[in-house]
Amino acid sequence: MYDRIFPPAKITLPNGKIVYEKKSRAPIILVLLVLATIISVRFTNFDLNTLFKRGHEFFVIIGQMIPPKWDYLNNIWKPLLDTIKMSLLGSILGSIAAVPAAYFASSNIVSKPVAAVAKFFLSILRTLPTLVTALIATFIFGLGTLAGTVAIFLFTIAYVGKLLYEQIENANMGSFEAMESIGMGRLQAFRYAIFPQVLPNYLSTSLFSFEGNVRYAAILGYVGAGGIGLLLDESLGWRDYSSVGMILLMLIITVYLIEKVSEHFRKKLI
Amino acid sequence: MDAIEKQLHASPRNLRYIFTIAILILLLFIWSLTTVNLDNVSESGLGIAAGIIGGILNPDLDLLFSFTSQGVLYLLIETIAIAFLGTIMGSILAIPLAFLSASKIVPKPVASVTRLLLIIIRTIPALVYGLMFIRVTGPGPFAGVLTISLASIGMLAKLFVDVIEELDTNILESLDSIGCNTFEKIRYGIWPQLFSMFLSIIIYRFDMNLREASILGIVGAGGIGAPLIFAMNAYRWSEVGSILIGLVVLILLVEFFSNRIRNKLVRG
Amino acid sequence: MIEFIDVGKTYSNNMKALEDINLRIEKGEFVAVIGPSGAGKSTLLRCINRMHDISEGKLIVDGVEVNSLKGKEIRKFRQRIGMIFQSYNLVTRISVIKNVLVSFAPKLPYWRKVLGLYTKEHKVKALTALDQVGILDKAYVRVDQLSGGQQQRVALARTLAQNPDIILADEPIASLDPVTAKQVMDDFTKINRETNISVIINIHHVEIALEYADRIIGIRKGKIVYDGKAEDLTEENLNYIYKGQTEELQSNEMEGKTDV
Repeated sequence: MYDRIFPPAKITLPNGKIVYEKKSRAPIILVLLVLATIISVRFTNFDLNTLFKRGHEFFVIIGQMIPPKWDYLNNIWKPLLDTIKMSLLGSILGSIAAVPAAYFASSNIVSKPVAAVAKFFLSILRTLPTLVTALIATFIFGLGTLAGTVAIFLFTIAYVGKLLYEQIENANMGSFEAMESIGMGRLQAFRYAIFPQVLPNYLSTSLFSFEGNVRYAAILGYVGAGGIGLLLDESLGWRDYSSVGMILLMLIITVYLIEKVSEHFRKKLI
Repeated sequence: MDAIEKQLHASPRNLRYIFTIAILILLLFIWSLTTVNLDNVSESGLGIAAGIIGGILNPDLDLLFSFTSQGVLYLLIETIAIAFLGTIMGSILAIPLAFLSASKIVPKPVASVTRLLLIIIRTIPALVYGLMFIRVTGPGPFAGVLTISLASIGMLAKLFVDVIEELDTNILESLDSIGCNTFEKIRYGIWPQLFSMFLSIIIYRFDMNLREASILGIVGAGGIGAPLIFAMNAYRWSEVGSILIGLVVLILLVEFFSNRIRNKLVRG
Repeated sequence: MIEFIDVGKTYSNNMKALEDINLRIEKGEFVAVIGPSGAGKSTLLRCINRMHDISEGKLIVDGVEVNSLKGKEIRKFRQRIGMIFQSYNLVTRISVIKNVLVSFAPKLPYWRKVLGLYTKEHKVKALTALDQVGILDKAYVRVDQLSGGQQQRVALARTLAQNPDIILADEPIASLDPVTAKQVMDDFTKINRETNISVIINIHHVEIALEYADRIIGIRKGKIVYDGKAEDLTEENLNYIYKGQTEELQSNEMEGKTDV
């Protein structure tokens, strides 16, 4: 298409051979990017002036966070532990539920239409931002940690499920066929032939998703789905920045520790 | 049976290890169960769930296709614009930080400090930045752009560093033999390697930023999040349905194209 | 013409890499340098285009005393000498022709360099070079899509586009399978015959060296121990070069390592 509008340049070599050089896409891509930038600036009221005039305010806020209010620690423990519990529970249940989900989404195990439908649902679940899922969950399950757990649960199914069915589809099918040939059912053959192949990767993915979920869980409180987000929202609302600083500090330490522990186990798995 | 299962049966020590871990996970699981509180679940929940499903099946088509500034299409474009500008600004900021945290290029202490800074930036949730920037620029999409820029830096810089540390430096030897000076070596030896990898990373982050941008509206930083929360609070399920449909379709489309472009960039 | 007069080279850790090298290579010669790993073959080659400095003696290339060159002069001097490497050393993420065009980069005006734009004349030259090594049809393909042999030909074309007087090749076929290795060697021969460019090649495979080169230089522990026609090289000469360790010679070949 592009080559018809901008025909390739013809280069003739001294020995008479002719080479066609396709016109570079770079200029048109550049034009499109510049256009997109201009449109985006219009849509978002992007204003460098404001940024230069008031940008320092941001650092003023950060300045107020330091030093953090150490006494506030006592108020933090419970919601912080709630956040960890939420993500832990959601991740464990979600990872378990991801196995049947991935089973039904693998086109080499179940029939193609079934796999397509399962994949479709998984991708929609994955696409919905966790906060939106949590928001909806608060309407259905009421305010509190249950809503947050459900949101994390659903996202984990989608995320672990997707990576797991990709693994299953790439798994070696030879042993699966062998197991079927000695009279096992599909489910049993899956259990003994495919599952061991994908197990280490599955565990590693689940751990990884747990790491990410702690981060997500930290903001779910904002829509009333429990955890430390509620506290963050309140302190930011009251402009109590030194408390915010304390919350963020604890959050950073927690996330860092969880990442390190999970990384340790993930390295062992692969 | 694969190696792992064999190992499992062969070595009793390993079995004990796995058993310990399993018990540990079980205990953690029970511990985390204490957070679930079913008191707040009311019977209206079922009705609301039905309402949402009904809304998705029966979306407000006028809202979905209207071009006014309240329409879903307009809000989606605003969301894309926030993600787009935020990604560009974030990338520009992340590149120097990436070089500053590459231990191949700068002294170790500098690299370590920059890395710590990046971890901190990465861990603080985007919503927190959003709430802070609203104090700077006032509510609206501009705050969203700044939020996305800052929130992207951590991950972008981390992935950039991996590329920088894996650069193929053999090419520099051959450029030396051609008689290139330092500028030419960077322009023709380093830049082409970095360019396509960086671009691929940036597109990947754009994909993620679109999701981030779609929730920023919840704190008033522009995009489609705010109308979603309003519609839900007012129980206008068909509006909720049309917003959710628009959002999911957009994110799936962008994901599809970004995967294709990135495959092309990385594999050629 | 390349002339080594009493050249010696000592590395900073006091290791003697080259000693008493006296050598004259006329324009248009096809020379193969053989010897065990670590004998100094690579060092010898890299002294010619001043990738390494020599510590004693004189090295004169086409009337230029190589070691007296400084900064910009070195780069100008190197533009006349092509070099081929075992690992091809191409930028794999860009197209074949862009890799070849790089050899014109030092001659471009500044704005063209920044934008990476080449003139049509340069493109014609680059394509001609690709045609000479028989991969004209791959000009707009990305390098990472090519096989090893094809990549080495791209490197060869990049060197040809430089229009050099001398081509130095450091183990050019060590990473290639036997069939492609022969094809690449054929390309070297063709270029040597057709354009009268001198070719100096470091090589592990003695049979190939004997088959293609007019002249063989044998190096052992930094000294030249054989210098003569390929057909005059006897089994004893070879034994002396590799110190009678023909088994080691074979294992070296298998591993295809480069020497220092």
